[in-house]
Amino acid sequence: MELFAILLFGIAATTTALFVIFSKNTVHSALWMVANCFTVAVLFLLLNSQFIAILQIIVYAGAIMMFILYAIMMLNLKKAGDEDQVKNNLAPGRLLILGLFFIGLIILGIGFSPQALKGGMGADALAGFGEINLVANYIFSKGLIPFELVSVLLTAAVVGAVYLAKKD
Amino acid sequence: MIDFFIIPVIKVIILFTVCLLIVAYTTWAERKILGHIQLRYGPMRVGWHGLLQPIADGIKNFFKEEVIPDNADKAVFLLAPVISISVAIILLAIIPFGEPFTIFGKKITLWLANPSIGILFILGFATLGSYGTILGGWSSGNKYGYMGGLRASAMILSYELSLAFAVISIIMMTGSLSLVDMVSAQHGLWNVVKQPVAFFVFLISGTAELNRTPFDMPEAESELCCGYNVEYSSMKFALFFLAEYTHMFVFASLVTTLFLGGWHGPFLPGIVWFFIKTFAIIFVCIWVRATFPRLRYDKVMKLEWKFLLPVALANVIVTGAVMALV
Repeated sequence: MELFAILLFGIAATTTALFVIFSKNTVHSALWMVANCFTVAVLFLLLNSQFIAILQIIVYAGAIMMFILYAIMMLNLKKAGDEDQVKNNLAPGRLLILGLFFIGLIILGIGFSPQALKGGMGADALAGFGEINLVANYIFSKGLIPFELVSVLLTAAVVGAVYLAKKD
Repeated sequence: MIDFFIIPVIKVIILFTVCLLIVAYTTWAERKILGHIQLRYGPMRVGWHGLLQPIADGIKNFFKEEVIPDNADKAVFLLAPVISISVAIILLAIIPFGEPFTIFGKKITLWLANPSIGILFILGFATLGSYGTILGGWSSGNKYGYMGGLRASAMILSYELSLAFAVISIIMMTGSLSLVDMVSAQHGLWNVVKQPVAFFVFLISGTAELNRTPFDMPEAESELCCGYNVEYSSMKFALFFLAEYTHMFVFASLVTTLFLGGWHGPFLPGIVWFFIKTFAIIFVCIWVRATFPRLRYDKVMKLEWKFLLPVALANVIVTGAVMALV
């Protein structure tokens, strides 16, 4: 049952991700991205981590995609360039490389998955895995310094972006 | 079987009917109250004091012609009202309406679900609801709709922040994200007494998230001639309308749950207290609409970024400091 659900939503995640790339309309791409965030959130739920799943929805589907949509609408992007150009970019050679890349990914995935399910990350260890208390305890004790450093880095990035966007 | 399937299904059906009836009659209450505040009667013709007006409106909307504009993005145009209404109704699932009671030896809870992520679920999905507004405005292929959608996304992006920070101070005091725990924690003293600042920040940013006057930027009739839903007709318009009022009901019940002690109150049963408080908040929303004029767009943004957000942040810091010291 769980395996079936994971397979279903894994396929859904991949399909929506492909639609993000192949939609010609930028707003449609953004919408497929929202759908993709949702399927990934469901995958997190299946891994027993409610908190990370809802963060995926709040942060990515809610806030970040809203920003992207806002930016797309502000800039009023029209449909992506000529269709010929898109077709030229997807010449057979590139498709072949892309296909090989995917086959490689699948081999890697199959190779790694049985090991990942054994040992330290078995069903028992996963039971309380994504509970908010555990995440909070980790962030505010062991992970405190990296966490604060990342926030300083992000603040610096925001200040830098404001400076770059400013026209004297 | 009974615990996992039949009881939840009955609960869903009751919740759905009761809440949609309440939502339909909120539209009636709004027109009546606005009317009386402005010294007129409001709807009077259909039924006693217009009591059947919402039903008449519903039937009328069913039989109106559906119009899809030529330069609309058809798929998204049809999807937008669906997103709006479904996300609004999902939110009802985790609101605790009253204390659990026992019937035929079974413990019945008056909430559909009590996930450990509780309030985050509401914050997350409430934001998603505004996708309906934004996409509806964008896909109409109409400049007023477009501006409305743009404004809706800017409003959500800004007011979501102060809303979340107001909630964080409550989470800090309760030590849990679950709405049921939050209500139980207010057994003695309501949070509105302990956290007055968070209460007002939540009330103001909530009104802004609902897109109601004085913050109804996305539909501002005098500037955008109805904004994001200008091209919608018939049942699709009705769905937007319904979603807006469902959001209002959810917002009022959230204020009740977070700040007004939920189902706690003397003498009467819990669920009665819950609805009394919720309707009081809905009345306040309508009262505010009748009292204040619409703010100018830049002032709405200034209010959030230069006043509400710093106040909410300061409130979180003060709450943390007091909790650490006491």
